[in-house]
Amino acid sequence: MVSSLKLSTAEPSRSIGRADTARPREQSRARYPDETGFVERDGVRVYWERYGDGSPTILLMPTWSVIHSRHWKLQIPTLARWFRVVTFDGRGNGQSDRPQVSAAYAGTEFASDAAAVLDATGTNRAVVCGLSMGAGYAARLAIEHPDRVLGVVMFGESIPYEAESDDAGEADPDPEFESPRRTDEWFRYNAHFWRRDWRGFAEWFAGDRIFSELHSTKPVEDSVGWFLETDPETMIIVEREPYMRLPSEWEPGPPTAGRAARYLRQIRCPLLMVHGTEDRVTSIAHARRLGAWLGARMVEVDGGGHSQVGRDPVLANLLIRDFVHGLQGTRP
Amino acid sequence: MILDAPPRALDRDSGRARLPDRSGFAVAEDGVRLAYDVYGAGDPTIVLLPSAPIIHSRQWKAQVPYLARHFRVVTYDGRGNGRSDRPTDPAAYADDRMTADIGTILQATGTDRAVLVGLCIDGVWRSIRLAADQPERVLGIVAFAPGVPRLAPAQPHYVSSSATFHDELPSPEGWAKMNAGYWRRDYPDFARFFFSEMTTEPHSTKAIEDAAGWATDGSVEAMLAESEVSVLFDREAVEATCRAVSCPMLLVHGTEDRCQSIERAHRLADLTGAPLVVVEGANHMIPGRHPILANLLIRRFVDSLPRAAR
Repeated sequence: MVSSLKLSTAEPSRSIGRADTARPREQSRARYPDETGFVERDGVRVYWERYGDGSPTILLMPTWSVIHSRHWKLQIPTLARWFRVVTFDGRGNGQSDRPQVSAAYAGTEFASDAAAVLDATGTNRAVVCGLSMGAGYAARLAIEHPDRVLGVVMFGESIPYEAESDDAGEADPDPEFESPRRTDEWFRYNAHFWRRDWRGFAEWFAGDRIFSELHSTKPVEDSVGWFLETDPETMIIVEREPYMRLPSEWEPGPPTAGRAARYLRQIRCPLLMVHGTEDRVTSIAHARRLGAWLGARMVEVDGGGHSQVGRDPVLANLLIRDFVHGLQGTRP
Repeated sequence: MILDAPPRALDRDSGRARLPDRSGFAVAEDGVRLAYDVYGAGDPTIVLLPSAPIIHSRQWKAQVPYLARHFRVVTYDGRGNGRSDRPTDPAAYADDRMTADIGTILQATGTDRAVLVGLCIDGVWRSIRLAADQPERVLGIVAFAPGVPRLAPAQPHYVSSSATFHDELPSPEGWAKMNAGYWRRDYPDFARFFFSEMTTEPHSTKAIEDAAGWATDGSVEAMLAESEVSVLFDREAVEATCRAVSCPMLLVHGTEDRCQSIERAHRLADLTGAPLVVVEGANHMIPGRHPILANLLIRRFVDSLPRAAR
């Protein structure tokens, strides 16, 4: 008797497209959502998913629009066994729309999308997790909608809180990004390079910057596939919106150094920061200064790179679980 | 507050998912000491056989924690690697000696009978020999990448490399690295090459690093001694031995196996009537590279054994 077993060989997703074109065949999931839907704000549709019915709700935020909500694939199945999990594709990737105007990608838009998703899923308050730029979006949500946020977990924060200004943008194009440059290392962070070799940028950024640890071929392959679900023109538009542009009513006057850091001090809920000591996107020193400034609880992952979420999922999941239990006053 | 993350393994062995409940040494008839470990207290006992001397008992690291939750699990380092002795006399690696070691371990661990799980020749052929000779000690066999010699021709790269094994090759490439002089010069490079060839599935860097590391834990002299030994059975005797196995068997073979051709598995299935699971796209190291698949196949097989026989 001969039987045949086929190993999982889902092809990495590779088509570049709008939200309304046929999506690439997705890999099988360990757990599928119990409910999905869209919220629409100013004509931009954002796709969300809900898993499980536990308590409290964990909101897994989008990050830089190069990738989408599947970047939480190793958290969702585990967290949904204990809690209720809500996630959504950030505008610019996944099943969400890709508006072609930079203002649509302001940090505050992501925070407002998150609040709309909480409304649509009937969620009063949630513990909010964010990776990299998603840490900044989580902070925006905690500051702009404080009544909706029980606590924040930041992984590999990439928040330019020390930038000279939070408001350089379309009116003041960044020549380093817009002009042709060398094509090695960080010089690839450039509109010309992206247009010429988006996949090359994805492979470098995911393989060399995000997942610098050994044995990361799978998360790199996954990430590159997600990069290729959006396109360089959309990401150039995203890039032109200053990520930390702050509300105009906050400290009226010209944006200045230190303004973003003061803004972030408004986070009132419990905050856990998780950061790899070998992070090649945001240095551990940067994270330590932010953690000290915000009075965050800090977990440093010795030898860890930028994404514990993707590369050390068991550690990330247990840290989230213990943080939530701590909020509830229960012992893990 | 700065909290340290859970400490990373300070040495390679401290980060195990499960530590043995009991460890010890058994002594073979020829005086060679064999290190064994016992995990769990379930029923029946599963012995995970070593692929020695090239690697040692940690080859089963992805099986032990799972299986020990359900069964009693025994592993041992085969002669020539791990904590076991490393004789350099080829006679120590004779087929009979390697087969007898299973019985030595069963006795030392107080195991009357067990399910034997093995990979390739060292794991599978010796299981078959023990089951044929001492059927009362073997409840069943799970044979990964069954390497039963003579049932089908050896892979061409083994034929070519064994022809030049003792030649002086200044800078061998590919399978020519399977060469005595090269082993002495750069065994770690051979080990990396060999296990890269054995594990060609995508995302195998960890499995390759582990296996190459277990190889370099071992001894080049032991490998050279073992390479002098060949199975003395001719094809007819091999087939008769396979036919003599009366316990249940499960055969598992990958379509991309570069060590043992799948013809050997089909032939073994014909001889024993055992079911064969063909894993499409898998190479040789199924327990290490596809551990969940391997663990579930082992568990279902063991659960399917008649209770009375245990």
